[in-house]
Amino acid sequence: MNPLEIGAYTCTSAAGIGLAAMKRSIAARESGLRPNDLAVCGLDTWIGRVDGIEKVEIPANASHLLSRNNQLAWLGLQQDGMLDSIERLKRTVSVERIGVIMGTSTSSIGRTEEAFANLLDDEQMAPEFRQPHVHTLHSPGIFVAAVTGLAGPSMTISTACSSSAKVFASASRWIGQGLVDAVLVGGVDSLCLSTLYGFNSLELISANPCRPFDRRRDGINVGEACGYCIVARRGTLPDARMLLLGYGESSDAHHMAHPHPDGLGALLAIDRALERAQLSASDIDYVNLHGTATPANDSIENRVLARRFDSRTKASSTKGWTGHTLGAAGILESIVTLEAMRTGDMPGTLNLEEPDPDAEFPIEQANLAMDIRHAITNSFGFGGNNATLVLGRSRG
Amino acid sequence: MPRSCLGDRVDSLDLAGVGIWSERFASWDQFSAIVRGESVDMTSQPQAKLIPPRDRRRASMFVRMAIEVMDHACRMGRVDPSSVATVFGSSLGDVEITDYMCSALAREPLSMSPTRFHNSVHNACSGYWSIATGAHWPANAVSAYDHSPAVALLEGAVLAIEERIPVLVAFQEARATHTFESIFPARNPLSIAMLLMQTSVCERPLGTLTLALEHDSKSKGLPVTPRLPEFAGTFTASMLDMLIAAAEGSDYSERFPISHSSTLAAQFSPSHLVCSRHRELPT
Repeated sequence: MNPLEIGAYTCTSAAGIGLAAMKRSIAARESGLRPNDLAVCGLDTWIGRVDGIEKVEIPANASHLLSRNNQLAWLGLQQDGMLDSIERLKRTVSVERIGVIMGTSTSSIGRTEEAFANLLDDEQMAPEFRQPHVHTLHSPGIFVAAVTGLAGPSMTISTACSSSAKVFASASRWIGQGLVDAVLVGGVDSLCLSTLYGFNSLELISANPCRPFDRRRDGINVGEACGYCIVARRGTLPDARMLLLGYGESSDAHHMAHPHPDGLGALLAIDRALERAQLSASDIDYVNLHGTATPANDSIENRVLARRFDSRTKASSTKGWTGHTLGAAGILESIVTLEAMRTGDMPGTLNLEEPDPDAEFPIEQANLAMDIRHAITNSFGFGGNNATLVLGRSRG
Repeated sequence: MPRSCLGDRVDSLDLAGVGIWSERFASWDQFSAIVRGESVDMTSQPQAKLIPPRDRRRASMFVRMAIEVMDHACRMGRVDPSSVATVFGSSLGDVEITDYMCSALAREPLSMSPTRFHNSVHNACSGYWSIATGAHWPANAVSAYDHSPAVALLEGAVLAIEERIPVLVAFQEARATHTFESIFPARNPLSIAMLLMQTSVCERPLGTLTLALEHDSKSKGLPVTPRLPEFAGTFTASMLDMLIAAAEGSDYSERFPISHSSTLAAQFSPSHLVCSRHRELPT
């Protein structure tokens, strides 16, 4: 494929609001996870919560879109000069030629939960909750288009935990087909009862800080995050230093909630991404893993690594800092990877203390200083929905 | 110069197959009969026989609606269902499951059903589809509120052209539950699948679909069909006039709003080799 330029990007998670705070947490090996302190949820687990979301005031032109998810989306959009970068982009590309593609697993369902907790006597929603543009999967796309003024096609992708990795694939196709010249891609998912109690019902949440690839790993910590990235046709962004070189999407065709035991879909996603990037596995210096800390995901993903890569390729999961941010994980971990490539500071795997003796591929525990020319990032979701991205640096 | 296939109308796709289900018509044949002014006996629920029985029991009505029309579209297009990529689009998704989950969370959160939880993902239909058919191709699930059908069609067309594979686009809305009635106008569920293929691959397509993205600051409402007024309020119904044209074998063009200043111009030209009303689903 024709590589896409990656311009400005930013992310916000429990590991930090904005890039600088996240990089400090990673360097200091300080997790953003905390014991569950949500007043409305009594589950014994740890969560990746972003402080202060409740106090975020969303812009007046989007006040009808109030939800925790859109508050987080707005908080994240104000970091790292992202809004200025969008304004600069508008000076070179007309707003109709800039698309918006957001990824989310649960959109603003936290607001729907609130509406149901406050129903009127006739079981209708109370007037303040009658927000048609909030109780839809497209809520993040509507919100981001409204507050940025971007006027090209806008879409929200919701394929569980691969959602905001797939935003890059769709953006690449839109640009490849000439629908638009640039796309603001993003992802946002916020803490809500649906995912906490849902993953609890599947016995997938941990009562401890999550320990990806550790022998004692026992489940995920649900986290919240958002991230954004400007991607564009080559030659559009004069300062772009990073590239999207490839993407691969696949379906496991196995089970709604369990990954394929041989990692068939994961391997297909990786192979398709490498093929599109015209690279081989030996060209990949770093893999940011899905690495959720469930027993099944990590052992299968480890076997997948062993089948494709040799130990010159380094691999780690960063969920020990952020928790599993579900539909936002794809973009959050893409940005973690882009920053590692830009700075040469590769994050290790926080909370991995006793490597799984059954692991066939070594997972990096410590942070490393290394030159990363090419990297991939994996995102796998319920429904057996997989996406892998190949990232690179631009010359000059 | 940027390539601008859709913008320049260079690329057309064949509409190789269609599936449609509502509480008034269970198949393309029944839909075509209603378009001709005939009456049909229709009481059945979507069978979704493609899903193995064990999984079918776990699948929600929303999933079964989608699988039913996706299966019909593949059979009409005579393609192996494991050979297609999928794009699914809906505004609110499985509103019954959302209603169940939010009610359970408000009353007794620990009672949450794990099956209903994993069925609540927006990509549940594409997940069940891939499991039932063994398809390992890309599967997308998107939403664009009232623009969901047109945006899913655009996304599917772009996928078919870029990746050179058949793409099954499915879009549907369920009936709003009581609590959602005040904000969500759908009173009649409607599910549609359209199988898009590169031209001259399918032997007997229904016709050719040409799509172009246009920039237009004039805001325009969704097209509504006066011939099936009971679907007003169901966003999926914005595609009904195109399907009526396909059933009648007539030309059709429409401009679907997809954002504040973009419209998807869609043009359908029927194949004249075969009259669509005589097409039968192979069994």
